[in-house]
Amino acid sequence: MFWRKQKAAIAGFHPLHQALIFERGFAATHPAAEWSALAASLHRHAGLIRRSKWALPHRAIDVFLPLLAAVCEDLGPKGVLAVTADLRGIHVPAKSHPARDIPVRPPARSATETWSIDPWLRLHAGLRDGSGLDILVVDRQRLRRVTKRGSSGKTKIKRKTQLTQLIRVRRRLPRGVAGARPQVPPPAWIGVTLRDGERRSVLAAAKLPRLPQSADEQVDRILTVATETFRWTR
Amino acid sequence: MTPCAVTTGFFTLGKCGQMAVAGCPACGRAVCADHLADGGMCPECAAARRQFGHPAAAAAARRRAYRHRQAQYYGDAGYYSGFDDYDRAAFEPGAAAHQDYLDDGDDALVDS
Ligand SMILES: [Zn+2]
Ligand SMILES: [Zn+2]
Repeated sequence: MFWRKQKAAIAGFHPLHQALIFERGFAATHPAAEWSALAASLHRHAGLIRRSKWALPHRAIDVFLPLLAAVCEDLGPKGVLAVTADLRGIHVPAKSHPARDIPVRPPARSATETWSIDPWLRLHAGLRDGSGLDILVVDRQRLRRVTKRGSSGKTKIKRKTQLTQLIRVRRRLPRGVAGARPQVPPPAWIGVTLRDGERRSVLAAAKLPRLPQSADEQVDRILTVATETFRWTR
Repeated sequence: MTPCAVTTGFFTLGKCGQMAVAGCPACGRAVCADHLADGGMCPECAAARRQFGHPAAAAAARRRAYRHRQAQYYGDAGYYSGFDDYDRAAFEPGAAAHQDYLDDGDDALVDS
């Protein structure tokens, strides 16, 4: 039987690890101990699985795991973390909106624009200091197809894609905590909004004009936006 | 009871506070059974010596690297130095270690 050993290994993996392999994502809510069981399982993957069909999706090990470890540190014994991870990538058909026509000027004859929206990671955690933390990361792609007639009369199609990323973090401050504006302002690429209510929320958002070029940069960007919401209660 | 003085948390910092069973041979802080890292050291000291056998040592290293980066990024030295003078000392030979960590209550969750 083919792949017998690797199949057996997968059967021993954490159920969410299996979901990452076969469905490239999952939605689940657990306390820190269960998430560290998932992390331990994921760390065994590379040593046991060779078949490329069963490879872990992009971002599972080098982006998702470090974020998971960071947030779990703050959960405390009673807190839970909800994760919705969809690591299928932006190119699955369900993530694309229908193409729509956009106005053109000669020599272009027609043009369409297609948006694809990929909310690939969503975290919601109740932290031990009593605050609620939400992190959302969304990749967005704009694809423009322009049809032109060249001087020779030949029709040409030009494609241009633009990939951007939105990182949004909301922290609901602990009950009764007002927070104070940090003395050092956030970097220009992070926008901060306060929302008052029964509990105050600090919202930090960044729109990156291009995707981070490495997993480390990706993790760093997300953590930096999240950090902004914690600087209000230093 | 002597509470464990190991720093926990990532965005929110606090002391572990469980009952300590030993003192770290490198820095002397009280350490509970859950936080005894390689060589009986506290996670910070183990991490400073690149001994990552205990998950808390890896977490300590991640937290320190992250705070250091953020402080540089923001040009906000306070984000690193305020984080925990005591923990930082383990990584900076020559820096004086403050002994004030035991004064923190068990539930002192400081967002330094
Ligand atoms: Zn120590
Ligand atoms: Zn401890």
